[in-house]
Formats: sequence, structure tokens, C-alpha cells
Amino acid sequence: MLRVDIPERRAWKTLANELGFHFHTIDGAPYWKEDAYYQFTLEQVEQDIESPTEALHEMCMELVDKVCHSNALMQRLAIPEFMWDTIHHSWKAGQPPLYGRMDFAYSGNGPAKLLELNYDTPTSLYEAGFFQWVWLEQAIEQGLLPRQADQYNSIQERLINAMAHLGDRLEGRTLYFSCVKGSDEERATVSYLQDIALQAGLNAPFIYTDDIGLQPGARHFVDLDHQPITAIFKLYPWEEMADDTFGRQLPLLDTHWFEPPWKAILSNKGILPLLWERFEGHPNLLPAFFEDDASAPLAAGWVRKPFFSREGSNISLITPSGEQQTVGGPYTDSPWIRQAYHSLPRFGDKHALVGSWVVGDRACGMGIREDVGRITKDTSCFIPHAIV
Amino acid sequence: MDTHNHPAQLPRRKRSARLTLAMMGTSAFGLTACVEPAPDEHVTEVSFDEPRSFQSVEECVAANVYTRSACEDAHAASLESVPRFDTLEACEAEHGEGACTAPNEEQAEATGGGGSWFMPAMMGYMMGSMLSNTNRGRSIERVYQEPVYRNRQNQGNWNAAANQATQRVNQRNEAMRSSVVQNRQATTRRGLGTRSASWGS
Repeated sequence: MLRVDIPERRAWKTLANELGFHFHTIDGAPYWKEDAYYQFTLEQVEQDIESPTEALHEMCMELVDKVCHSNALMQRLAIPEFMWDTIHHSWKAGQPPLYGRMDFAYSGNGPAKLLELNYDTPTSLYEAGFFQWVWLEQAIEQGLLPRQADQYNSIQERLINAMAHLGDRLEGRTLYFSCVKGSDEERATVSYLQDIALQAGLNAPFIYTDDIGLQPGARHFVDLDHQPITAIFKLYPWEEMADDTFGRQLPLLDTHWFEPPWKAILSNKGILPLLWERFEGHPNLLPAFFEDDASAPLAAGWVRKPFFSREGSNISLITPSGEQQTVGGPYTDSPWIRQAYHSLPRFGDKHALVGSWVVGDRACGMGIREDVGRITKDTSCFIPHAIV
Repeated sequence: MDTHNHPAQLPRRKRSARLTLAMMGTSAFGLTACVEPAPDEHVTEVSFDEPRSFQSVEECVAANVYTRSACEDAHAASLESVPRFDTLEACEAEHGEGACTAPNEEQAEATGGGGSWFMPAMMGYMMGSMLSNTNRGRSIERVYQEPVYRNRQNQGNWNAAANQATQRVNQRNEAMRSSVVQNRQATTRRGLGTRSASWGS
């Protein structure tokens, strides 16, 4: 794994704007950067990222099954009791997932270490699945990369296949898409998923999560025309759904959600100590413990994370040599875990994080984020990768 | 850690050959790897036939939907994407005891044979075809496939199972529902997604 300088494509910003990628620059700061790329070998991709991702995914599925059958574990993960049945039944009924992302600390040598799972509301999908792919094709075309250069990326293709399979199970081949108002980036991510759904032959209407309606006596949530929503994708986390005004109605209505309710188990950082407990010593896992576990034996250097945190918020860390870093944020009312500190690889002053994508049950691609800090945040830049 | 044993054949390409956007942005976009781009091309219509699941090439041919070569290609491609292991133990460690098998003759043949390896028992493969019409009038037809090999994917009919679950919940709540005045226009909103912050992760 190397960080290699490379010329930018001609007029890529114009292209980005034409292709709906308006958040390539956020508040004047670059988000997408292509003056460098991360270079991998095929062996690194297949042996160190792809294969461990699928193995870890299977371990996660095993844990979901275990948690679904244990009220004690549901409680341990701070999942409200009125959701337990819904979660259990969504799992038992085999409600299919769409996608997820694992974040790894990986330097090119030694096993990739799982930092966390983003299995409920993962973003950076468009950048990884589409714009990164276009970058590679054009970089080859413009002679910036050799013709045999490749990329670990069948994310969009996999998503189209997954949606095509889902289509037959959805009433009227219709899947609504939703996100909350006020975030261009999230709206764009959902647009991309709608685009994929259209390519898979689905009807893909959009409704803001805030506009979803509830009618007395109706079996489904309803859209702005009071029509039933039988199936809907939400870029909005389960723990917030459950906590919202309509939360208690969720188990009572027949609306199918994507991601399905059982993903609530994996979108919770409490899953990390549970993984360590069950698969202790696995080369791709870091030691992790619930903070209230008095016997937790962590060596010097740890990371403290709340159960529910996104984009690096409310995470603090201390390195083995005593350096500290903290990111503030709103997630202060849930329990905490501690995970052994494992440094991200450094390239100059940049720390790189590997996001490994899973669609259905298959690993299918990768996106790299980098930051001068040790904690990857919503402002961390996306840098493309190539297999050379 | 790595136990996957890919056959020594063509170099594996890790990226999709062709990607398209159907609606994003002012001009939709299509590119094919290593071919001159067609910047103005966009997909106007895509249709999928219903994917069907087959246990073997013979069963696929017998269904009279696809040609023998399409059946064989899809079967081989499905096998390509099934994880492989050097030993039975390594496979069972990931997929569970008794869940793994050596490839049968047909499966070994379909992937060019060679070496000994193990894989999670394949229950069959899904096949469907995709037809795209573009604004240039061209149609791109391709067959897509997915292996079906894990127990979890064979939990049965999702909708049927989910309906049973919701039926149970519905019964429990019937009393509550029948007591509610049925006013279909009395829709309440702003009950979900009200914490307008950024949730992506």
C-alpha cells in the first residue's frame, strides 16, 4: 500500500457537477481529492481486505443470530425492549440487507484491524462505487495510469444485482427512498441509490423521512399522497427511529425497512466487545470491552467510543505514548466501549482509513478516507485507489 | 488467514466492466472500461426478467429459458464467486460444521478443474437477464447470476415469513386498531427523522 502523487484529470470538477457529485467540495474545503491515489497489489486487496471482510461479515451474522435469541444481549446493547420482537422477527424471516461498510486500519503489512462497522447508514457510497470508478477509467484513458491498472470495485454492479433480486419480492416493484432534510451529501447518496434502483427495474420514489405519515388504523406508513409505503430505504439510524415520536408504531405496521430492523444490532458499537468476546484473538479484531466491565484488561493506548456515534463524533483516544485526541459531538447519552488503540498508517501527515464494502453477503469494493488527525471525521477527504 | 485458493487462470479483474447512471446529474453518463466513452449515451429503460434459481446446468437448460452456453457461463461464473478453501477444516471454520463440500465433477469441470479445494455446499444458482435500451437505440443484454450457497439465503420466502410475523403482531394489536376511529385523511407527519442532523457514517 503506497500513497502515490498523480496529476488530476482535466476538468474533473465540471464532470463531478454534471454527475450530481456536488459535495466534492464541502464548505470550501476539498472532500474528493485526486492529486494522489492509494496503490495496492492484488494480493493485498484479496488476501488482506476482501477475504477478511467476508469472514468478519459471517462472524457478525453469527452474532446477530445470537443477540436475537438473547434478551440479556439486547439489553446489553441498550436496544429498547419494544423493538426486540421486531428485530428478532426481521432476522428470522430472512429480511434481506442491502449493504454495509467495515472500517479498517491497514498499512499494507499484517492483518487489517476492524475499527468499526457501518451497517445501518453507511455513506461515501457514490464516491466509492461510481466516481472512483470513473476516475480510474479516465486516468487510464488520459495516460495517467497504466492500461493494466485495476480497482477493487464492483459495488454498483453488486447493488444493481441485489436490488433486481429484491424487486421481485417488493409489492409493485416499488421501493421508497428517504433521508432527513438538510444534508446535500445524504440527499445525493440517496439519489445514487435511487439511480441504482431504477437501473435494476424498480420504481424508486423519494420522500423525506420527516414527511413520512402515520394514519390511524392504516397497516403501513403513508407518503405525501396518503398512499401506503410498503417498502422503504432510510438513511437514518434505527436507534433514532425507535426514539422518535412514531417509534412505538414501528413494530405495529407492516412497512418493510431497509436496512432491516436486525441491522440495529450491528449499528451499535457494543457489537465490538461482543465480537471480541466470541472470537477473541482473531487476527482482524482488536480487543474491545464495555466500559462498565470492571475486569476489562486494556493495555496502554485505547479508544473510547459511545455505542451510537457517527463520523468520528464523541470519540477520544490516547496512544500508548500518551498522545491524546478528542472529537466533540452530540452522542453523550449512550453507554461507551473501549477498544485497544491501533494506529492508522501514516503517509506524510495523513492517516488513511480503508472502508471495505459489503453488498448482500459479499465483499465488493473499497474506499479510502484520510485525515491529518487520528480520528476519521465527516471532513476527512476521499482519495481514490488503484491496483497496480 | 487467507485460505482462498483461486485457480491459476486469467488475471482477475476486480472492477466492473461497465457502469452507467440513469438519472443523476444534468446529463446521464455511461462508460465502458477500455473502450471509447459514449458521453451522450444514457439508459432510457432497463428491464429485468424474474431471476430463477437452478440446481444444475441441466436443470437450467431444461427450463427452456436460456441457451446451454448461457447456462454454462452463469454456472461457471457463480462457481467463480463461491469462496474456496484449501482444506475442509478451513471452510467449516467459516461456514459451519457440515456446511462444506468438495466440488463435484460438473463443478470442477466448469471452473477448469485442477487442484483440490473445498467450498460451502452450493444450493444452486440464480439467473436472470437484463435488457437495457439506450437513447442511441442500442440494447445491451446480459445475463446476471448469483450463487446460492449459504443456509441463511435459504430461509425461505421472505415475504411469506415476514407476513407470518406481522400477522402475529397484527392479531395482538387488533383490539387497539378496531377501537381507533378510521379517518384515512387524518395523517400525522414529522414523527420520524425529526433530529435533522447528518446521519451518514
